Amino acid sequence: METTMKPTYIKRKRNGQISIKAGSKSERGIRWTIILFVVLTIAAFMFFDYTGLELWSAIIETGQNLKVMFFQPALNHFTWAEALYQVGVTLGLAVLATVIGSVIAFFLALMAATNLTKEWITKFVRVIVAFIRAVPTVLWVLIFAIAAGLGSEAAVLGMLFHSIAYLVKAFSEAFEEVDKGILEALKATGSGWWHVVTHGVLPSTFTYLLSWTFLRFEINFSVAVAMGAAAGAGGIGFELFMASGFYFDLREVGFITYAILLIAIILEVFSTRLKNRYFPSSMSK
Amino acid sequence: MALLQIAGLSKSYDNETKVLKDISFNVKAGEFVSIIGPSGAGKSTLLRCINRMVSISSGEVIFDNAQVTSMKKRALRQLRTNIGMVFQHYNLVPRLTVIENVLHGRFGYKSTLQGVLGRFTEAEKEQAFYLLRKLGIVEHAYKRCDQLSGGQQQRVGIARALIQDPKLVLCDEPIASLDPNSSKIIMDHLKSITSELGITCLVNLHQVEVAQQYSDRIIGLNHGEVVFDGLNYQLTEDKINRIYGTQVRELITV
Ligand SMILES: Nc1ncnc2c1ncn2[C@@H]1O[C@H](COP(=O)(O)OP(=O)(O)O)[C@@H](O)[C@H]1O
Ligand SMILES: [Mg+2]
Repeated sequence: METTMKPTYIKRKRNGQISIKAGSKSERGIRWTIILFVVLTIAAFMFFDYTGLELWSAIIETGQNLKVMFFQPALNHFTWAEALYQVGVTLGLAVLATVIGSVIAFFLALMAATNLTKEWITKFVRVIVAFIRAVPTVLWVLIFAIAAGLGSEAAVLGMLFHSIAYLVKAFSEAFEEVDKGILEALKATGSGWWHVVTHGVLPSTFTYLLSWTFLRFEINFSVAVAMGAAAGAGGIGFELFMASGFYFDLREVGFITYAILLIAIILEVFSTRLKNRYFPSSMSK
Repeated sequence: MALLQIAGLSKSYDNETKVLKDISFNVKAGEFVSIIGPSGAGKSTLLRCINRMVSISSGEVIFDNAQVTSMKKRALRQLRTNIGMVFQHYNLVPRLTVIENVLHGRFGYKSTLQGVLGRFTEAEKEQAFYLLRKLGIVEHAYKRCDQLSGGQQQRVGIARALIQDPKLVLCDEPIASLDPNSSKIIMDHLKSITSELGITCLVNLHQVEVAQQYSDRIIGLNHGEVVFDGLNYQLTEDKINRIYGTQVRELITV
């Protein structure tokens, strides 16, 4: 075969081999970012303050503490019923933040999806959402605590805020994956925007929206545990904080950890079941 | 009086290269017209200028005595409601059932709330089943669309276009993804139902033989220009060569 292809189309590496990477700016950017992270991580370990730390005995003591925690769990300062109630409080915080958050995020995500909304609106929503996401949940809780006071209200608001920002990104990316042809076909029938959204976009992405919401719920549960301690939002997290930081009761810490683990497993099983039952097709795809 | 009048239509996506150049032709009510031409000739773009899925750069499109070029939101929805469209890749919502997909063709007649809630009248549902029966896929009415073969999906697509009660149906390469057998079924259905209901039909095709067999009239497009416009028996070998270019044509017929 004659070489009809002009050599200028072929990109070569420095040693003359043909390159199969596009060699674009973004690719180089990614590579340098990774290198920078590795260097920073190594450097960080060198700058730690190691005085007074005897590594070997520290490891042994930590091991002993873990043994007490996980092999001799016990309840000392409150009862089973109380523990159950506190877990319920934590779950409640997570549910509240997730449910309200996912509903608000759904509407905002419609505005952030480039295939559904004008470009300047999507950019506007995206920038705001990226800003909210960049600030950690704890900080949002503390910001809301200025107005609402430390407690469950501030915790829910803060978690809600961050959940919305997180889900808007996830949802809008799911919306943008919808086949262009589906949107075109619906528009071509004379459908309005809401018709396209409810009967084209929603059925095509519903399983994704649900799994993202569940994932966020799992995150919110662990955040709610932390908020119980950090923001005095109550629940099992607060008990954990008291057991470890106030009573120094390792056995109780162990017990609470197991309780949290149990809930996490139950949530996982539950969400898998739900998905299998209502969306069997999403499993096979 | 022509149902569709196109005069001096030009289209450019990037303001530099013209995809359509000064296109003019009329289509009478009830006609079955094929548009043929090589890939990239601008066939899809031409169809999408008619129902304004893309904007028109210059020239006039007049459908049913209404000026299409300058239409805005409401008038545009009204226009699209009167024009059905059938696609190469069917473009159904795969997770929904056949009957749901067919009824999507009625959204143009619905208010936002009616449509969002999926409120369809019994008459509309009857009509949907009538069309499915006519197209021979009524037994699949409650199946999800992704469980159907390509030929069956395309028939759902046709039912969705027909339930709009359209004056004109635009078909963008409706058989390009189908085997010869399914292709024949689809073209037979398109031809018989549109002539029975008196619907005008504009079909993009790339098989010349199919165009000659089914259409009353053929329009040949090349590089965005109309190079042939005549009745199907007037399309002689050298006219075909003018549309496709000689060498390419030999490759296709072999
Ligand atoms: N959305 C678009 N944006 C930019 N250019 C397009 C777009 N759609 C089509 N084109 C260009 O317009 C020309 C005609 O395309 P098309 O109408 O799809 O031709 P056909 O359907 O005859 O194959 C092609 O050169 C194609 O690259
Ligand atoms: Mg095309």
